Amino acid sequence: MPQLTYLEAIRQGIWEEMERDPTVFCLGEDIGIYGGAFKVTDGFIDRFGPERVIDTPIAESAIVGAAFGASLTGMRPVVEFQFMDFIGCAFNQIVNMVAKAHYRWGAPAPLVIRGPSGGNVHGGPFHSQNPEMWFVHAPGLKVVCPASAYDAKGLIKAAIRDNNPVIFFEHKYLYRRTKEEVPAEDYIVPLGKARIAREGRDLSIITYAAMVHTALEAAETLSREGIDLEIVDLRTLAPLDREAIVATLRKTGKVIILHEHARTGGLAGEIAAIINEDAFNHLDGPIVRIAAQDSPVPFSPPQEEYFLPQVSDVLREARRLRAY
Amino acid sequence: MDDAEPQMAKKQKERLAAKSAQAPGTNQRTYTIPDHRLEKPSITIRQVRKAGKVSYEVTGDLSATVPPIRESRYLSKKQCIEIYRWMLLNRKMETALENLYKQGKVVGGVYFGLGQEACSCASAYALHKDEWMGPLIRNQGSTLVRGFSPRDIMMQYMAKAGSPTRGRDASSHFGDIKDRNVVAPISTLGDLLPVLAGVALGARLQGRNIAVMTYIGDGGQSTGVTYEGLNFAAVQDLGLVLFVENNLWAYSTPADMQFRVKDLAERAISYGIPGVIVDGTDACQVYDAAHEACERARRGQGPTLIEAKMMRMKGHAIHDAADYVPKPLFEYWRKRDPIARFENFLLNVKKWLTPTENRELIAGVDQQLEADRDFAVASPMPEPESAAGGVYCEHGCHEIKPKYAIPKARKGSVASPGGTEAAVHLK
Repeated sequence: MPQLTYLEAIRQGIWEEMERDPTVFCLGEDIGIYGGAFKVTDGFIDRFGPERVIDTPIAESAIVGAAFGASLTGMRPVVEFQFMDFIGCAFNQIVNMVAKAHYRWGAPAPLVIRGPSGGNVHGGPFHSQNPEMWFVHAPGLKVVCPASAYDAKGLIKAAIRDNNPVIFFEHKYLYRRTKEEVPAEDYIVPLGKARIAREGRDLSIITYAAMVHTALEAAETLSREGIDLEIVDLRTLAPLDREAIVATLRKTGKVIILHEHARTGGLAGEIAAIINEDAFNHLDGPIVRIAAQDSPVPFSPPQEEYFLPQVSDVLREARRLRAY
Repeated sequence: MDDAEPQMAKKQKERLAAKSAQAPGTNQRTYTIPDHRLEKPSITIRQVRKAGKVSYEVTGDLSATVPPIRESRYLSKKQCIEIYRWMLLNRKMETALENLYKQGKVVGGVYFGLGQEACSCASAYALHKDEWMGPLIRNQGSTLVRGFSPRDIMMQYMAKAGSPTRGRDASSHFGDIKDRNVVAPISTLGDLLPVLAGVALGARLQGRNIAVMTYIGDGGQSTGVTYEGLNFAAVQDLGLVLFVENNLWAYSTPADMQFRVKDLAERAISYGIPGVIVDGTDACQVYDAAHEACERARRGQGPTLIEAKMMRMKGHAIHDAADYVPKPLFEYWRKRDPIARFENFLLNVKKWLTPTENRELIAGVDQQLEADRDFAVASPMPEPESAAGGVYCEHGCHEIKPKYAIPKARKGSVASPGGTEAAVHLK
């Protein structure tokens, strides 16, 4: 089985879908001859032509609007955002036009909006954000955040085949840092299903994307101290896999929710509420949140390190929670 | 595929040559905006302070006589009469809605296209059945032409279970991707432009150049997405037919406070597309411009901007008495009522309708509206639980398939994607 990076896996997934289904096409800024700012669509224009790999003006609302319009005719557009930070420009199209279309007037919108998000690459306030919660709160959208190369390929293929608008957040820190064996053949990873990234019995960490790797690193250290972490990788934030959240809590009774986006109004609050509603009796300690501080993402490396959750934060909180 | 780029460049050159002519001996380029109107009123509206109170004052010649209808280059007698009937249905349906509102049967407000019926009906009439349209709030006439019935629209306003959105949205906020090819608008303005452009893009990928039509007002055209959408259509040569309905008032703000160009059609120059001005109260002018723009679209020559000038003859919605509009302006435009003018054209100028035929036609419209009103009023409200479900398309509720044809995928010889290292500093 070939070893692929997270980025290569996404590239292969989109490529395979375009080979398989002539209704799939890509549009975005600099995705053609240049191959995209991060080269995800490198070589696509030579294979599929400028008709299906469309370089657009710098006009995010137009890109999303056009993708939606094309989807109304039965096409499956894949939109690239150069950085997910720029998704704010298209916010109205996404939440008011696209997300509500099926509920309001029965118009499915089988489109994917994908692009790099996330920090730890010293990109500053406009190239490091994790804007996923803006869309988790907009009913009608699916929100996907893969953590591994295998999942990235399987999830992008599932997203393209889904009949709903999917916002696909690719963590840019993982693009070339994670590498694993990825099957060359066709497979999908279903949307809306979490996975157990590490089996454990003492304490659960619920997280996703780059923070899965932070949790895994912490788990190695903690295992030497006799603390056995279970790590749940959510993979999809909307719809959320409630069953997986409840199942891990039933097993360990203790939970840390770890995410890279700001603490207030973050996903941890929602998961805490789900646990409260569905699994309160299984709790054997306080629900712990580890999240970024409530501020924009700072630029300077020491500041960004302070801003982002670190392995040391997980170690500290896990030890504290274990004591209950 | 290999010849795609030279062809594009050639097309671009031709377009530029067609639109700009260099005056001999100068570096100044000249552009033309055809203006089909038979009168060109010069009226300005501005804010003035009098006795401590700020109000709008109108200046200009308001005494001009009403021009005749400009004879259509394309419409037959039968088509003219059909458009006239749509306009009547449009207006009388809105009168019925006003009455339903006064009877307390409408949920929310009522929006009117009074004075704009020619623009809605004659424009949508130029589209083929398998082409697409996205209406704004004042284009209820356009949705009638596309095949929605007055009862559909009445049920929308009354939030009935049988409304096109099954009670889930109001007013003109409905659509149909299956039979009528209408995109449901949202309340924010300009957002339909890129969507309709995208519809044309989808069709082109399926081997068809189609015309897609939408509308924007003198107010709505101020939004950024209006620019984005029209520019996208221009760059991609997509067959977007944009009606800029300059009805002089954006809610309570006059057009003179929205833009500095003399005519909004001039905006077309900056997009590199044709712009045309028509009298929005003249159904023949509206149709002819729409037809020519649709034909361009079908030839794959890209978008057209048509500015239709008229006045919104009511407030923004039923709650708004439009007291801010200077009275003489109402009087001026009332004389230019699109239906009265078209009726006069058909009865007295062309003699295509006898007074008896006209009475019968009007009676037929009244009858249809009465039946639709009774049906809509008697139809049930939705069950509360019907608010649930349908957020996602799931369990096979819709089959996604190409509307026109399976796209022909032309593939290059490269068998696998590239693997270039990203040239970005974020690693």
